[in-house]
Amino acid sequence: MSLRSPAAGAIETGTPIPPLERTLTQVRMVAYGGATWDWHRLHYEPAYTAARKIAGPIVDGQMFGALLAEALLDWLGPRAFIRRMSFRLRAMVFAGETVRCEGEVTSIVAEHDYEVVRVAQRIRVGERIAVEPAGAEIALPR
Amino acid sequence: MTAIGALLTEELRGWIGREVSYAAPEEIGRASIRYFALAIGDDNPLYVDDAYARAAGYPSIIAPPTFVCETCQYAHRPPDHDGYVGHTWELPIKGCRMIRGGHDYEFFRPVMPEDRINVTWLLEDISEHESSRGGSMLVVTSVATYVNQRGDMLARNRETLIFQPVEALP
Repeated sequence: MSLRSPAAGAIETGTPIPPLERTLTQVRMVAYGGATWDWHRLHYEPAYTAARKIAGPIVDGQMFGALLAEALLDWLGPRAFIRRMSFRLRAMVFAGETVRCEGEVTSIVAEHDYEVVRVAQRIRVGERIAVEPAGAEIALPR
Repeated sequence: MTAIGALLTEELRGWIGREVSYAAPEEIGRASIRYFALAIGDDNPLYVDDAYARAAGYPSIIAPPTFVCETCQYAHRPPDHDGYVGHTWELPIKGCRMIRGGHDYEFFRPVMPEDRINVTWLLEDISEHESSRGGSMLVVTSVATYVNQRGDMLARNRETLIFQPVEALP
């Protein structure tokens, strides 16, 4: 069995995180609502969003945290442990839009049995910034 | 246009510092973890394949890192008017739409299928700010602390919600 290989050793300040792109269809948004026990009408009901002057059902902002974390673990492998992460939502994302998670390493330091990697991240929809600033601190076993 | 100071009433200030706890009626379970991974489109075998997870040093599959902060499985109540079943303060705020501002997460250990989640929500702060669109908006900051049935710390989630007066929006 092959584990996803960690990129440790190839990491230095400025190293880009491999981007993760995903199209957030209405189907995915509804599935996410079910999976998180969050049935808020903001995420699927056009009349509800229109009454609040929102152009259409919006993606739950918490899903972006999941995607940012996914991008990190796809890159750093299954032994990486995210200790902290944060993200700020800048613009609404609507059903059918494709988001792109990107970022880069801001520091890497040794700490006991770990390398601690800090990253800055953001999410774009085309040229529009949807999430920024965002960042994380990840412990990588040596 | 809503003037600065009009939204943050004394009644609302009185909510700051409130705390409420929830205890999930059951363990997270493997199905919830697989459902979540499938929903977001994350094909990492760490969430579905025990052999893969064990080879990576875990006792079994684990939950995706942010899962614990996203699921409302801990709550056990019918959906409210907005369709929401998770924690909400039901603050006395009228004529505003609520949108998410952001999150700060801390994780203390991987969350396992056997973990049963207890959550305590603290209403940390409510403040009023000038909106970039002009007028005023409320920023409500809450902190959720997640432990399992043995009291092991799992995660902490500082959540920022923004309330904007609908009448002031374009």
